[in-house]
Amino acid sequence: MKRLVLKDLSKTYFDPYAGAHVTAVQEVSLEVKQGEFVSVVGPSGCGKTTLLNMIAGFIPASGGEILLDERAVDGPGPERGVVFQSFALFPWKTVLENVAFGPKIRGLSRTEREKIAREYLDLVGLANVAERYPNELSGGMQQRVGVVRALANNPDVLLMDEPFASVDAQTRMTLQEELTRIWQERRPTIIFITHDVGEAVFLANRVVVLSKGRILKEIEVTLPRPRAWDLLTEDAAFKALSGQVLQLVRSA
Amino acid sequence: MPRSSHLWAALKFIAPLALLLLLWELLIRTFGVSPRVFPDVESVARAGFESIQDGSLLRHTGASLWRVAVGTVLAILISIPLGVAMGVSPAVSNFLTPLFRFFSVLAGIAWIPIATLWFGYGFGAITFVIFNAVFFVVTYNTLLGVASIPLPLRHAAASLGASKWTMLTEVLLPGALPNIVTGIRTGLGFAWRGLIAAEMIATNVGLGYMLFLARDFYRTEVIVFGMVVIGILWLLLDRLLLAPLERATIERWGMVRKA
Amino acid sequence: MTPLLKAWSLYARWTARYPAVHSIVPFIPLVALWAVVAESNIFPRAFFPGPLEVVRSFGTLVYKGILPDYLEDSIVRLAVGTAAGVALGIPLGVLVGLSPRAHALLWPILLFFQAIGDIAWLPILLIWFGFSLTTMTFVIVYTVLFPVVLNTALGVRSVPLDLHRAALSLGASRTRVIWEVVLPGALPNIMTGLRNGLGYGWRALIAAEIIVGTSGIGFLMFDARRAGSVVEILLGMIVLGVLWYIVDSWVLAPIERATGERWGLVTR
Repeated sequence: MKRLVLKDLSKTYFDPYAGAHVTAVQEVSLEVKQGEFVSVVGPSGCGKTTLLNMIAGFIPASGGEILLDERAVDGPGPERGVVFQSFALFPWKTVLENVAFGPKIRGLSRTEREKIAREYLDLVGLANVAERYPNELSGGMQQRVGVVRALANNPDVLLMDEPFASVDAQTRMTLQEELTRIWQERRPTIIFITHDVGEAVFLANRVVVLSKGRILKEIEVTLPRPRAWDLLTEDAAFKALSGQVLQLVRSA
Repeated sequence: MPRSSHLWAALKFIAPLALLLLLWELLIRTFGVSPRVFPDVESVARAGFESIQDGSLLRHTGASLWRVAVGTVLAILISIPLGVAMGVSPAVSNFLTPLFRFFSVLAGIAWIPIATLWFGYGFGAITFVIFNAVFFVVTYNTLLGVASIPLPLRHAAASLGASKWTMLTEVLLPGALPNIVTGIRTGLGFAWRGLIAAEMIATNVGLGYMLFLARDFYRTEVIVFGMVVIGILWLLLDRLLLAPLERATIERWGMVRKA
Repeated sequence: MTPLLKAWSLYARWTARYPAVHSIVPFIPLVALWAVVAESNIFPRAFFPGPLEVVRSFGTLVYKGILPDYLEDSIVRLAVGTAAGVALGIPLGVLVGLSPRAHALLWPILLFFQAIGDIAWLPILLIWFGFSLTTMTFVIVYTVLFPVVLNTALGVRSVPLDLHRAALSLGASRTRVIWEVVLPGALPNIMTGLRNGLGYGWRALIAAEIIVGTSGIGFLMFDARRAGSVVEILLGMIVLGVLWYIVDSWVLAPIERATGERWGLVTR
């Protein structure tokens, strides 16, 4: 079953300072199945964030199509949840209110939406800080809230834009393991943008290497699950895959 | 904070002022200062008591506060929606920022001459001066505030399915609130000074007028009493209205204001 | 490339090279609108003159030498008052910031006198000094003083204790610590205070010039008001606005940015 389909997706924009058109994404075609976990990896400036912003509907595409369940995507919408690198939690809302915001927009009553929010906070072990404001939380906790805020809205696809790039190394590993656990439990469809090769391989079923706005290669990852850093760091298959992807990224 | 520590804080605030009062009386007595230069404490108190008794204090204060209230409320009601509307588009707000900066720089007292010419002496001119002191500063700050909301926050709300209205009430307004509060505070500061200046020039009732009239008769005790009233009113306005608003929102949210 | 994109490209490159363009261009449509409204005679011409008349009166007043003289008077008053206010305010602010005892004693008094506001002093100053330069200078010094003192004290108190300790353990004396640690650390706040103080200060100057009235831009405007000349009032407002805009955005804001942002200090 195909969920998300990109057909010849392109993005060019006008740079007034250079006085010229610049191509950020060039004829990218990609198919993502229901429940698949796809990482998009590439060096900075390869167009991966532009690609995600188009799928999320934050910026219009210059050419090609984005189809979700055979329907063309137009603008942002709740069926595509987004997790941001900068967390993007509303500072004026408590943790609970942040997570309950999506259900609130769907028109659920206060008791219903708070029940949902608490369930999801439980999933990442944050039920005890529900009444706090985001600025009172550590970076790792904030991003857990960011992830469950997107999940609580029951999106068809979860779009993650370098979500763990701004937390410390220890926390990042924990968050990655938690994410694979959540994925195994609930099987959401995920597109995960990163510049970290190890992260891309660790998390995904398929790694897409992007270079200069084009897809360079797609690599299937058949490592067994559940995945944990303790087991994989020394794993030969993992090392081989990471090495292969790293070479592709560096040659880009 | 428990009640007793509130009391203690108030006491610590008042004690230096009481000391100042003592020093003032002492200086007047030892140097035998003429009441035409500076009054003693007692005559100021008497002047205050008289003005309360004959109702003139209430009349002047009432007139001043009424002007401030009308001008400020009107200005805030117009400037916040206007500022948000202009701030939504980065291109528009970028283009308009210098204009509003220019006018917020001019806001207040510099409008007194033209205001009195357009509206004549009295309520209209003074309220206009207060209105524009608050209006331009709050519009400018709202504009800046909306423009300074990080784009990911707006994206997050949009991708959670927020409508235009939800975006306005749940993202744009709270996001701009720190700047709006700063704007109101600065604007009111300009407005308050503009009020006193305008009342000295262009009316026959109000605190500024009360002070300026007393000058004609060398009634220094009335002048000093008026100054004390002006100081206390501003402190009350600032402590009871503006500061709590800031504490309840901005500081709790850990947001930093951008000038 | 379409002409529209070309124009945008040109505007973007120009504003990048000369930031002043970005602050001037938005005024073009505003002045045009003003001219159209004035020409259409919706309001009586004497009440609402057009930009050309203001430019003409600018020429006349410059030619007669009135405008340069008055402008000079206003600027000198503001500069002298500000310099005195800063010279008094910074040491006082450092004292209040460093000594808890001075803070306990002076802070309420400072807050109260700031609340009274400069302009409310005018009547009693007029009794003391008459319609004189002293009166005006006093008002400006008073206005600039409080924001500078309060912000300096805030800045001094916000310097991390570890910086004091670092300097002391490197062998600095108490006075050295003030010069090398406390003042630079408080500088962003001092600049903010100065900027606020000047913002209030020149408003106080206008008020003083209107009320005390012997010369200066404020006097020019109020004199014009007595004569019913809207043109000259508008001229005065524009001169004030342009002057302040230049000082604020080309002198004060860059200094504030150069210190606060360069060092990565937050001004609050």
